[in-house]
Amino acid sequence: MTARHGGSTVRVVDASMTLLNEVYRRPLDPGYAEAAARRQAAGAPARRAPRVVALLLVAAVLGLAIAAATLALRQPPTAALAARQLLEKQIQQRTDDTAQTQAHINALSSQIQQLQRDALGTSATELARNVQAESVAAATVPVAGPGLRVVLSDAPTSDPETQDPNDRVQDIDLQVLVNGLWAAGAEAVAVNGQRLTATSAIRSAGEAVLVDMVALSSPYTVEAIGNAGRLQADLARTAAGQHLATLRATYGIGVDTSSQKHLSLPGGGQVVLQYAQPVSGTPAPAPTTPRGNASGAVRAPGGLDVASSAGRTGRGGT
Amino acid sequence: MIAVIGLVVGVVAGLWLQPTVPIELQPYLPIAVVAALDALFGGLRAMLDGIFDDRVFLTSFLSNVVVAALIVFLGDQLGVGQQLSTAVVVVLGIRIFSNAASIRRHLFKA
Repeated sequence: MTARHGGSTVRVVDASMTLLNEVYRRPLDPGYAEAAARRQAAGAPARRAPRVVALLLVAAVLGLAIAAATLALRQPPTAALAARQLLEKQIQQRTDDTAQTQAHINALSSQIQQLQRDALGTSATELARNVQAESVAAATVPVAGPGLRVVLSDAPTSDPETQDPNDRVQDIDLQVLVNGLWAAGAEAVAVNGQRLTATSAIRSAGEAVLVDMVALSSPYTVEAIGNAGRLQADLARTAAGQHLATLRATYGIGVDTSSQKHLSLPGGGQVVLQYAQPVSGTPAPAPTTPRGNASGAVRAPGGLDVASSAGRTGRGGT
Repeated sequence: MIAVIGLVVGVVAGLWLQPTVPIELQPYLPIAVVAALDALFGGLRAMLDGIFDDRVFLTSFLSNVVVAALIVFLGDQLGVGQQLSTAVVVVLGIRIFSNAASIRRHLFKA
């Protein structure tokens, strides 16, 4: 070493790392060692009462503060909580509003029916029967009868947040099932109490399945009125039956089919057509039998709707 | 020992009373808790080393929490609050880690 290197002090090799070294080599507060050295030098100091009380007080306050801080950290932020509560309240309110409006619609529907019956009276029984048949066909009035009930439920999961969408019941599944039921001769179909009318659509928005603009969730109960035995047999024979089997086997979706002696389906309310007008000149097809008309009229629009939707969305892997 | 007893009393009181922290102090809580943890580990190690001192323990506890919060406050004012928080967490994390290692050597002789 030359004189130019300056004196005899040897530079530490890792001088640039002093900060990290300091942190790493002396993790313990040096105060402890100093206090210990002082104690050794002075002998055991007498514990005075005020000092003990002060220590106790400071420690208690510190403990309190840390406990409060920890508790505060474990709570979700109050702002987010408030916003969430507000949203929940709004959802609740809107749902109540919808339910109220629906009840109102139902009441008005039955009133319309009553008025129709009164207006037609007993004189025009033929006309009254036609109106009745048309109402059943248009799914505006509640109907009851034997039929088939198919319950589709999402595959069981521990965490709904991360569940593969394929393991859930999708709009396409309900479309295929409903289509199959219509094809098998169902005369009236409802999904979770939502009656399918000539203007109903089954589709999905986000992760919810919408039937007639009403968001439904699993389990989906599809009820179809018709000859239960025939419905079941025909459903199994068609592509819909195959689709259901695939859902059960591949995706673990619950498919529970049961024939019911008595099913009661609600009415779909009045369908208001704003633009469609009967084409003048062509006479409306005279209903031959009320029953035939019913199944024919309802089935066709339902089938069309389902077919068009099915083309748009497809379940991967089926 | 007095400090430890006082701390336990304070924590129990905190859990029981559930005091609310002023909203302005909320950003400094995580760092303050990490600093408190560092002081706790330091105290535990000193106890095992046989050089524990109530006064040093409480002083380091208090100053750790206050300084950590202050650094974050300063960082926030300068616009580098996030980075300074990270720095504090790294330094305190290293200290906690090596103190924990020392405690482990004391307890398990390994």
